Amino acid sequence: MAEVTEEKMKWGMAIDLDVCTGCNACVTACAMENNIPFTGEDESGYGRGLHWIRIQRYWHGDYPEIKPDYSPMLCQQCGNAPCEPVCPVFAAVHSEEEQINLQVYNRCIGTRYCANNCPYLSRVFNWFDYEIPEPMAYYLNPSVTVRRRGVMEKCTFCVQRIHAGQEQAKAEGRPVQDGDIVPACAQACPTDAIIFGDLSDPQSRVSQMARSQRSFRQLEELGTEPRVIYLKGGGQYGG
Amino acid sequence: MAAEVKPYQRVYKQSEAEEEDPRQHLMLDPRPREEMNHMVMEAMTTTSRRYWIIVGALAVAVAVLLFGAWGNMIFTGMGMAGIRRPVFWGVFIVTFVFWIGISHAGTFVSAILRVFKAEFRRPFTRAAELMTTFGLAAGALYPLIHLGRVWVFYWMIPYPNSRWLWPNFRSALVWDFLAITTYLLSSTIYLYLPLIPDVAMARDRSTGWRHTLYKLLALGFRGTEAEWTRIRKAINIFAFAIIPVMFSVHTIVSWDFASTKVVGWQSTIFGPYFIIGAILSGVSAVITILFVLRYTLKNMDYFIREEHFDALGLLVLIFSMAWAYFFYNEYLLHWYGGGTVLKQLLTLHASGPSAWVWYLMLACNVAVPWLTLWNKKLRRTPWAIFIVSILINVGMYAERYTIIPLTLGHQRFPFDWGEYTPRLTEISIALGTLCLFVLLYLLASRLIPLIPVWEVQEGQESHRLRKVGKTQVPSVSELE
Amino acid sequence: MPEDPVHIALFEEDRIDHAAEALDRLRALGIRDKDMSVLSGVPYSDKILGRPMAWTRVPIIALAGAGVGFAASLALILIANRQYPLVVGGFPYVAIPTIIPVTFELTMLGLLISTFLGVFVEMISPTYGPKAYHPKISDGYIGIVFTCPPKLDQPMHAALTELGAELVHQSEVQP
Repeated sequence: MAEVTEEKMKWGMAIDLDVCTGCNACVTACAMENNIPFTGEDESGYGRGLHWIRIQRYWHGDYPEIKPDYSPMLCQQCGNAPCEPVCPVFAAVHSEEEQINLQVYNRCIGTRYCANNCPYLSRVFNWFDYEIPEPMAYYLNPSVTVRRRGVMEKCTFCVQRIHAGQEQAKAEGRPVQDGDIVPACAQACPTDAIIFGDLSDPQSRVSQMARSQRSFRQLEELGTEPRVIYLKGGGQYGG
Repeated sequence: MAAEVKPYQRVYKQSEAEEEDPRQHLMLDPRPREEMNHMVMEAMTTTSRRYWIIVGALAVAVAVLLFGAWGNMIFTGMGMAGIRRPVFWGVFIVTFVFWIGISHAGTFVSAILRVFKAEFRRPFTRAAELMTTFGLAAGALYPLIHLGRVWVFYWMIPYPNSRWLWPNFRSALVWDFLAITTYLLSSTIYLYLPLIPDVAMARDRSTGWRHTLYKLLALGFRGTEAEWTRIRKAINIFAFAIIPVMFSVHTIVSWDFASTKVVGWQSTIFGPYFIIGAILSGVSAVITILFVLRYTLKNMDYFIREEHFDALGLLVLIFSMAWAYFFYNEYLLHWYGGGTVLKQLLTLHASGPSAWVWYLMLACNVAVPWLTLWNKKLRRTPWAIFIVSILINVGMYAERYTIIPLTLGHQRFPFDWGEYTPRLTEISIALGTLCLFVLLYLLASRLIPLIPVWEVQEGQESHRLRKVGKTQVPSVSELE
Repeated sequence: MPEDPVHIALFEEDRIDHAAEALDRLRALGIRDKDMSVLSGVPYSDKILGRPMAWTRVPIIALAGAGVGFAASLALILIANRQYPLVVGGFPYVAIPTIIPVTFELTMLGLLISTFLGVFVEMISPTYGPKAYHPKISDGYIGIVFTCPPKLDQPMHAALTELGAELVHQSEVQP
């Protein structure tokens, strides 16, 4: 697939926590884009929701001066991903082309080892075969496979959109430009808190945000080299 | 000063009165081989109505509890178990580690004690080896049971497939798969090799289908010098080679945990800590089994004696101390140098909603053996040490439960903390494998001679009572 | 030429000294060591009975099996990474620390399985020497199986009954 682009791109994402309102639009958009089934209230409450992105909500301050603090959490597409080497059957592998972590659903045998080893807990498991009720089945995205029971799944950085964008650019005979490719969560974000782009291009918006004084990465001390950059001011991270 | 002499005299008299009768040791109480053969054959061929009722009940239990529940889970989905995000591993892996731990005792008893020539092992090596094989058979089911898609389990096996994609040899699970396969095969062979002369013995005094079976298994064994040399050579190779395999199996099981980024699992001491725990639970299980054998199988009170419970009880006490040492080592250094998450985790283990599991572990693994097993009289009371051995295995189960679901539930992001409750399917499958183990053991106890008669006779021939002065002194002659 | 008849002299388990003596007497009668074989219910080392050392190929077979296992594991690891190279977690394709558990397990598997195969093959392959058996062997009796030309019957009987042996005359009794 090396013919799609000349040089490899290093896809990355920046999430500005200071403008995130915790509206959950990204969660919904992600579910629609990636054919994520609904597991119901009880199952979801028991920790079996299949969200590829979720909003972690923490409370700050003492009552009554309480302030919520939102932090969208998704697969960090680590450079040195802990989930990959533990898989016995190479279902979790690193893509050299897109520089992301792949989850090969057809190869997965469901040991759930990768999920235990993910420090961000961003992997979800198909506990059952989930049915998508009849009229809603028309919303299914043909570019994304549906998963059956017993396999692990996770955020793909909307790899189908990356490929579509690359092919579109190739058809028009131009290189992929910053902003051509937008994953579902970034597209749905009303406050533009999620920015997606090529980290290897220093001029891209995401690279500029990554250089911000407010930027940090989750659990950076583990050496996983996450591709998702968070931005947060408030004096905590030098901003 | 006279007051000090008096108690000394009393102690002296007491010890004289309590002088052991050397004949209480099996090795010093020889019986003719013919009689021992007869006793073992009788134990093997006697089946009562009660026996068949129990076997039938267990077979039904295995079919329903294990295969019924498992089949239902395969067709419905892993969600039948109580596991959830973030606790992706629950009772299945806990029971897996438990059975693999149990399976260490057979090798410990029959390989390590054989290498060090501990004579008390002789009558129960086979009972312990059977435990290894069946414990592994029960445990090896779990890597299959816990798979989300068990119907493609063979993708873990290195075989040339159409895409030339091989298993990931960098994954601890593949090492685990290889280690358990190696251990299962080699412990089965190790059970079989010393069995050949005993099967030949059974062949000579049986008729009908038993004769056909034993004739097949005995491989035409006659007892020539060449055959003995061959078998003893092979047993020797096995005794030395299976010890590192046994260590590697539980080390690799511990690496399944220790090689991850999970807080509380990353620990360089996990390998030896797991091995000690495995031997502790395994030797306790040997005591449990010997107690049951002694009171249910015919003629076993001659072969399995109080001295054996005594010796095994001492081993359990030593391993309990070693376990406590490793546990404390791990705990202290995590507590002292661990990060915020780790300290939070230790606090939750000791005071969280499931803290009773943690205290149960400490009570059963440390308090119970330390308070009871120093007492020789208690070690020699079979029912008392039987209860202690069961409690230790409860404690070891609690240890694995603390390490797996209770640690997974509290990782780095408090938002994702989660409590895990085992569900009916998991409990049913766990009980089902217990029934499977007991069922296999019951069937085997009537199929193969449970006492290695030739090893007992060999030991008895090398031990003699010699009259020295006014007493009889046990002596060991060097036959080797 | 018709084969000489096979006899078994049985000694009770505690009369090992008599058995050793009987072997000497048979040798004195001119029966060669290869025409005798000792059956027993427990293993006796060769020196006790003064017999030539029994030998076995099991250790060599075991070592060969270990070598095969080691080679197979290395081949497997190298082939696996050559045929479908996949990057996981930033690891090198062939990382020595992760090779060691695989090579260890497969080496031990080769060693232990070939030990068993060695025993199995040696057990079922044909043996030389007189073939006879008596169920009393597994009752702990020491049996001396030997072929004896008919002309030596008389002195042989005299020599062995004196030592308290129980003589069984069978040409071929197989278990």
